[in-house]
Amino acid sequence: MNLEELKKLKEKAQRQVALREGSKKYRVVVSMGTSGIAAGAREVMKTMLDEIEKRGLEDVEVRVTGEVGLEDVEPVVRIEEAGGEKTTYARLDTEKAKKIVAEHLEKGKKVDNLAVGKEKKPE
Amino acid sequence: MFEELSLHILDVAMNSMAARARTVQIMIGEHARRDRLSIRIQDDGQGMDADTLKHVLANLTTSKHSRKKNIGLGLALLRQTVEMCDGKFEVRSTPRMGTTVTAIMKLSHVDRPPLGDLNATILALCAANPAVEVQLHYLSDTEHFHFSSKEPAKKKVASRPERTSSGEEKTSYEPGRTQKVKRESATAGCLA
Repeated sequence: MNLEELKKLKEKAQRQVALREGSKKYRVVVSMGTSGIAAGAREVMKTMLDEIEKRGLEDVEVRVTGEVGLEDVEPVVRIEEAGGEKTTYARLDTEKAKKIVAEHLEKGKKVDNLAVGKEKKPE
Repeated sequence: MFEELSLHILDVAMNSMAARARTVQIMIGEHARRDRLSIRIQDDGQGMDADTLKHVLANLTTSKHSRKKNIGLGLALLRQTVEMCDGKFEVRSTPRMGTTVTAIMKLSHVDRPPLGDLNATILALCAANPAVEVQLHYLSDTEHFHFSSKEPAKKKVASRPERTSSGEEKTSYEPGRTQKVKRESATAGCLA
C-alpha cells in the first residue's frame, strides 16, 4: 500500500465503476458475500474489470452484490442483458472470467460449459 | 478464514452496504513502534439492537428469523483471525445510527495475515453501490493518506509524512474512546 497505488485506485474507481452509470447492454453482477469472497470473487471481479477495460467494452457495467444463494458453487457471476435475459456462471476463476468477457460480453456468445441452471427466456 | 485482512475488510464492509449505509469509513493504523495493527470499519447504516448484536457475536451462523438476515460468518471469521493474533475485537452498534467494527492485532504476530490487496477491496465496495461514499484512512509511523470515492478527481490523495496536524485520525484509533452517542456495545475476546 502506497500513495502511488492509491492514486491509481482513484482513477480506476472512477473510470471502471463510477463512470459506468446509466443503462448498458450488459450488467455483470458479482456475488460478494462471505462465501464468494472466500472462493475468490474479488479476484474474479478485478480480472473482469481489467479485461473489460483492455478490450474497450463500453456497454458493460459491473456491480457487486451480497450472497445469491449459490454458496456451493462460488464464485458466481450473473450477466443480465438489456432484453431481460440472465445467465449465471459458476465455479469461476480468473481464466474463466477472462473467457466470459471475451466471448459473452465482447462477441455476445454464451459460454455454455461454464453456465449453470436453466436459461430464463421470456415465453 | 481469509488469507488477507483486506478480504475481511471487504466482507465486513459489505454488511454496511446491506445495512443501507451512506458512508463507509475504513481506518487502518499500522504502528511498528507500538507493534500494533488496527482496523476499524465504521458505517452510518441501520445498525443493530443489543439482542441482534449478541446473536451476531455469539453464533457462527445466522438465523433466518433474525432481523438482519445477511449476518453470517463474516464477523465471526474476523474475530477468529484477531484472536489468533493476540488481538482485540469489538463491535459497537446503535439502531439507526450505525455500526463500528474494530479489530486490533499484534503487528508482528506470526499468524497475522497480510493486509493484501486493499485496492481491489475498495474497488469492489465502489462497485457494490457507487452512491455510497467509501473512505479509506491509512496511518502508519511514517505516512498518512486518505481516500474517498466521492472526492473530486483532482484533489486525490493528500500526503502527510509528518503526522503532526493529523490529530483527528490519530485519536480515532484509540480503543474505548467515548462516543458522543451512547452506544450499546458487546466486546468479545479481549485478551488485553
